[in-house]
Amino acid sequence: MKTTKKLLSTSVITSLTALLLPLSAPAKADDAQKMHKLYEENCASCHGSDHGGFIAPGLNSESLKGRSPTALRSIIMTGSFDTLMPPFYGRLSDDEIRGLVKHLQTTPKMANPAWTIDDIKASIKVYVKDESTLPDKPTYQIDDINNIIGVAARGKYGRGSGSKAVFINSVTHKQIGEVATGTAAHIIDYDPANPRWAYVKNDTAEIFKVDLYSMQIVRSVKTGFNGPGLGVSRDGKYIMAGSYVPHNAVILDAKTLEPLKTFELEGIDPDGKMVSSDSGMIIGTPFADIFAIALENAGQVWVVDLKEGFPVTKIENVGRHLHDAFLSHGGSKLMVASYVDSIVTAIDLKERKIIKKLEAGCVPHVGGGSVVEVDGRTLGFGTNFGDCDKMVVSVWDLDKMEVVKQVPVSGGTESPAAHANAPYVAVDIISKDRRARTVQLIDKKSLEVVKTLDVGGHAYFPEYSADGKFLYISAGYSGDEVVVYDSTSLEKIASIAMESPAGIFSHGRVKYMTRGLSPDEMKGAK
Amino acid sequence: MKLRVLSGALMLGLLSTHSINAASIYAGQARAAAVCSQCHGIKTPSADAPFPPLAGRDFAYLKLALEQYRDKTRKNDLMNAIAGSLSDDDIANVAAYYAGLKP
Repeated sequence: MKTTKKLLSTSVITSLTALLLPLSAPAKADDAQKMHKLYEENCASCHGSDHGGFIAPGLNSESLKGRSPTALRSIIMTGSFDTLMPPFYGRLSDDEIRGLVKHLQTTPKMANPAWTIDDIKASIKVYVKDESTLPDKPTYQIDDINNIIGVAARGKYGRGSGSKAVFINSVTHKQIGEVATGTAAHIIDYDPANPRWAYVKNDTAEIFKVDLYSMQIVRSVKTGFNGPGLGVSRDGKYIMAGSYVPHNAVILDAKTLEPLKTFELEGIDPDGKMVSSDSGMIIGTPFADIFAIALENAGQVWVVDLKEGFPVTKIENVGRHLHDAFLSHGGSKLMVASYVDSIVTAIDLKERKIIKKLEAGCVPHVGGGSVVEVDGRTLGFGTNFGDCDKMVVSVWDLDKMEVVKQVPVSGGTESPAAHANAPYVAVDIISKDRRARTVQLIDKKSLEVVKTLDVGGHAYFPEYSADGKFLYISAGYSGDEVVVYDSTSLEKIASIAMESPAGIFSHGRVKYMTRGLSPDEMKGAK
Repeated sequence: MKLRVLSGALMLGLLSTHSINAASIYAGQARAAAVCSQCHGIKTPSADAPFPPLAGRDFAYLKLALEQYRDKTRKNDLMNAIAGSLSDDDIANVAAYYAGLKP
């Protein structure tokens, strides 16, 4: 009897479990899937598709260990002031926010997710089938296509209707066109050979080929999950894109956006360790038919020849955690920033070797860099995050490759702007307090800060118009406008409204290669 | 007579802390830039944001709304928390700043 009862109860439990299991297990999986989808649709474009971080910190079980779920929930609700993190109150329900916090605190950083050449190929979208139907000149009034300034508008939420590339006529300061980019636009690059094409990359690694004459997207391709790396070859035939997620880069046919070759980014870092690497800057140069790409974690710069098979020359031991770079000397010298070593490494692209490592303040982020010719010297300007107490902008003599001066500024900086016809080098102060509203101006001759502009918002990414007469600055985060100044009088003369504007890219860059150089210097170099 | 002048001045003084003319739009701007604009923007919030624009709204309305959020007579978790620490001056300054902006 006892046995029977026991048997009975066991079988009841078994059958109950059998009944419950198929119900509860998928419910849990559904939940995880739902949270993963929420993450991808709201967070991943900034925090990384692999939960490992991109322009914002990684969100995973390791990085969020020990953090109070209540505190995390309130950050998601209200956003994080003085950063790009927007308030999700009203966009996500309280249950969704609670679910996300739990999901993030239990999800490890994902292994390098795959995005293969076939995935890239399959992602191509064609918006204009026959490019011969496009107008053969701009459909709007503009004297010179170099007067176009493109602004990467992030949009408040890093996605949605505010995310676009906005194009402005830098003589009239009026918007002449815009293209929607789905997620935050990050980089705008121009075809140096054909003035009509621009390439816009967003934070989810999609590249849009834009016809500047008709202001529309012609084609698009998704080259990865996250990563800003983008370059155009000097003949306009190739573009190269690099990703943080996954760790690869790809060369595309600029005409069709068809992928031609992918590169797995890995190598031996300066400490002798074999590492898989994020892609840092990618740059084409007027000097040769090559791309240079920085492997952030591997500390290497690869030079890819644009010929059969796209062979690679690897330059090792460039620095620890490379990021961005700029060109000088007709594009034959490349200055690469190394975060961890706080140096900028000068590379000779002709010899394909390191020339010298130069002091660069503290965590150098050179943005697009600036090079100016003053009193017979070629001076390079480098900004740096300045996370330590050394708040300076570095000035190097690029002929002798030595430090000329470390100019004291009021905080960390991210991007310098210069122009041959403008008297000042503008640097954006990014320190997270009221200083973030400001841009400081360094006199090219005295190499001292002579003026501080209170721009508003989080002011960053200054850029001069192609003629050098105007200085454009993004009043980003909650400033929501691009502000235009007269570059000599420094009077504010215009404002163009948009959501969270960030990088500003003058079409004039194709003419002077690096901001601050004159087009004549470029001709002389060729 | 003296008393009337005095009380008149007092009245004026009392009124002034609550009038748009006496409020400091500079202090209001600083507060708006640091706090309110995070959701409401300065001139306009995001097209995708579920938050109302504040630029150009009626001063008295903005002031009343903030007071009600602060005193929790108007309920909203987020706004009750944010307005909870505002002084009368803060409220007047912020309301004056946003009321004076062209949307």
